[in-house]
Amino acid sequence: MSAFAELVDGGVRLAIPLLVASAGELVSERAGVLNMSVEGIMLTGAFAGAVGAHTTGSASAGLLCALVAGLLAAALQAVLSVTLRADQIVTGVAANALALGATTYGARLYFTEGRTVPGFDPVALPLLSDIPVIGPALFDQSVLGYGCVLLTVLLAVLFGRRTGFGLAVTAIGADAETADRSGLPVNAVRFGAVLLVGVTSALAGAHLALADVHAFTDNLTAGAGYLAVAAVIAGRWRAWPTLAACAFFGLAQALQFAAPAFGIHLPTAVLVMSPYLLAVVAVSGLVGASRAPAGLTRPFAREARA
Amino acid sequence: MEPALELTGVGKTFGEVRALDAVDLTVRAGEVHCVLGENGAGKSTLCNLVFGSAALDEGEMRLYGAPYRPRRPAEALRLGVAMVHQHFSLVPELTVGENLLLAERARLRPPDLTGRVKAIEEEYGLAVDLAAPVAGLPVGERQSVEIVKCLLRDPRLLLLDEPTAVLGPAEVRALLATCRRVAETGRAVVLVTHKLGEVERAGDAATVLRGGKVAGSGPLAGFSRDELVRLMVGRELADLDPLLAAGLDATEAPAPRTPRETAGEPVARLRGLRLRSDHGPDVLDGVDLELRAGEIVGVAGVEGNGQSELVAVLSGALSADEGVFELDGVDLTRAAPAVRTAAGLGVIPEDRHHEGCVTGMSVAENLFLGRLREFRRFGLLDRKAMRAGAARAVAEHGIRASGPDAPLHTLSGGNQQKVVVARELALDPLRLLIAAQPTRGLDIGAVDAVLTRVRDAAARGAAVLVVSSELAELLTLCDRVMVAYRGRLLGPVAPDAPGARDEIGKLMLGAAT
Repeated sequence: MSAFAELVDGGVRLAIPLLVASAGELVSERAGVLNMSVEGIMLTGAFAGAVGAHTTGSASAGLLCALVAGLLAAALQAVLSVTLRADQIVTGVAANALALGATTYGARLYFTEGRTVPGFDPVALPLLSDIPVIGPALFDQSVLGYGCVLLTVLLAVLFGRRTGFGLAVTAIGADAETADRSGLPVNAVRFGAVLLVGVTSALAGAHLALADVHAFTDNLTAGAGYLAVAAVIAGRWRAWPTLAACAFFGLAQALQFAAPAFGIHLPTAVLVMSPYLLAVVAVSGLVGASRAPAGLTRPFAREARA
Repeated sequence: MEPALELTGVGKTFGEVRALDAVDLTVRAGEVHCVLGENGAGKSTLCNLVFGSAALDEGEMRLYGAPYRPRRPAEALRLGVAMVHQHFSLVPELTVGENLLLAERARLRPPDLTGRVKAIEEEYGLAVDLAAPVAGLPVGERQSVEIVKCLLRDPRLLLLDEPTAVLGPAEVRALLATCRRVAETGRAVVLVTHKLGEVERAGDAATVLRGGKVAGSGPLAGFSRDELVRLMVGRELADLDPLLAAGLDATEAPAPRTPRETAGEPVARLRGLRLRSDHGPDVLDGVDLELRAGEIVGVAGVEGNGQSELVAVLSGALSADEGVFELDGVDLTRAAPAVRTAAGLGVIPEDRHHEGCVTGMSVAENLFLGRLREFRRFGLLDRKAMRAGAARAVAEHGIRASGPDAPLHTLSGGNQQKVVVARELALDPLRLLIAAQPTRGLDIGAVDAVLTRVRDAAARGAAVLVVSSELAELLTLCDRVMVAYRGRLLGPVAPDAPGARDEIGKLMLGAAT
């Protein structure tokens, strides 16, 4: 396999969890709720998925466990940030710390004899996967991988401004009070949006554990959840630019593995750092002219004023 | 026939404030019912209860005979109650069409919307451009959109909360005509206002609120103008300060101020100030103005024509893209607010809660926050001296507070504003005073006190710039009145010129001088 093919292959593999996670986070942020906890929910999903698959011997059962765990974690986040109106950034970061500690400890207790688990195997799509270079990279994914991409596209279309759904979400994120006065169920939509983040983040985590490495290691996500949040900012809260940012971050992550094949010899630390560094550059360069939803991170309560 | 809306013994308390107390109200279908009252009389609270934005504490409501207690606006809307909000409920990021789609919880299809809007346009003479982004619309057009949004739901009861506060005279006339037409179709209309002129032009019946209680109610034919004033403010019209009476639309404008013959030396110069906008035309489109010592210059205009931004640029909250602002020959265009204050610029901001004061701190701290250096002893703050200084200011300005240590949020809005005014007037030197909507939301006593202080500042030789949406206030206060229109200043109009009011009204709509 050529160095370039390897880069594309790795990039796509690493971009898939980012894509699905940021698609959910985009919907939530457009509705006005910022989930720093994407990282924690991903990690929880990966752990639950690995445990489930290991226990039952079935990757599908593992996926189911991941989704349930993701929904539970998201429900907690939703109660905190929507119902109780706690600070979204603080609760999100706390949730991440909790998830890292709990999964690391849990893995130590549970995986006493090796950490490999049954996972989803790649399914090469006939014809399409025969296209040179990009064929094997794009069309030789697992069922879970295809599912993630499908869901991403579905969300991007369903919550664009052309649908009633998307319009309602945009209005709620831009001006919750106005949306409320227009008769939209502000907090119900926001609660649902956070649950959606639970599903997409858990899928992303499950993809990492069950379709990519087929194992659970401590801090398996290693900041991918933060990259998904960064992709939403870099994409300026628009669907297609956000997905492009995910693809870019995925390639940047893949570069650390492919760099030697390109004859780039840098210290490993620099290579490992590079995707996050690129994320910082991308976000800081764009944030000045950003178009964040006006109500982002601002909880809504009807009778706050006299 | 049973009334469209009936309130019996309705009460509402916010914290320690009794906003509404045993309020009865009966509104019939097919009539425009005016709810009158001063600022703080409880008019907006009443609307919010009926629309479900707030829950009532006691009493009961009936809508067309059925018990009615909406827990959220969505419920009120479902039962056929719609409301035009004072500051609109449109999402600026969306287009007019998208905002209208929200009215139906985004379930309507765009082609159906076009048809329905066209029907409303024809019936009520309200024209809206569906493709225009709301952010770029003038206030009058936004209001049309807001009304169309309400009518799309085919409401049985339409509430309008101070809808005319932000409009120019011609737009007010059009709005009142729309209200009448809506009532003629058999719907009930509740029009909240504090302008008597509007009541007489559009209303069938009125309920007057004072201090959260009903001061009087009945068909308008049964009330004289004097009586309405007496019910609203608790004083006879004859005893009322002419300026205030004019503010209520109870009398013609009072005698305008005669421009001063001897204008002082130029103090401040604004040259070609420009502020660009991300979406749409420039917010400030080359503002030129010269202000002289002892002169009071007013800026009138329909809200959203750049007057707020002009104040922000002068006070240093926004940075102009082009142009120069000089005070006593010193270029302050890009100076930090502290430098501006040192140069003698006092600002009474439009939004005193967010920009004017720290409500969690005491009266004394708010008065001296910018001058703490004067109260330093051995590197520590001399609290005693601060308290003594504050006590003097409290007495001099007639600020009603439990003492210099009282947290500012325990003061009424009028007294908070007096603290802000006292602080700005204490600047030494005070060369230029900018007062943005200085009397907004104040009760009658406080309005008087604040305006007297502004006049004093001019008498002591400061140049004064007053931005206000109260035309009567500007006409009595100012030596000349400019009109903000789409980021430019039109005029000047001399307040004592015959027909000054109409002239300003025309300029507000952009008519050439």
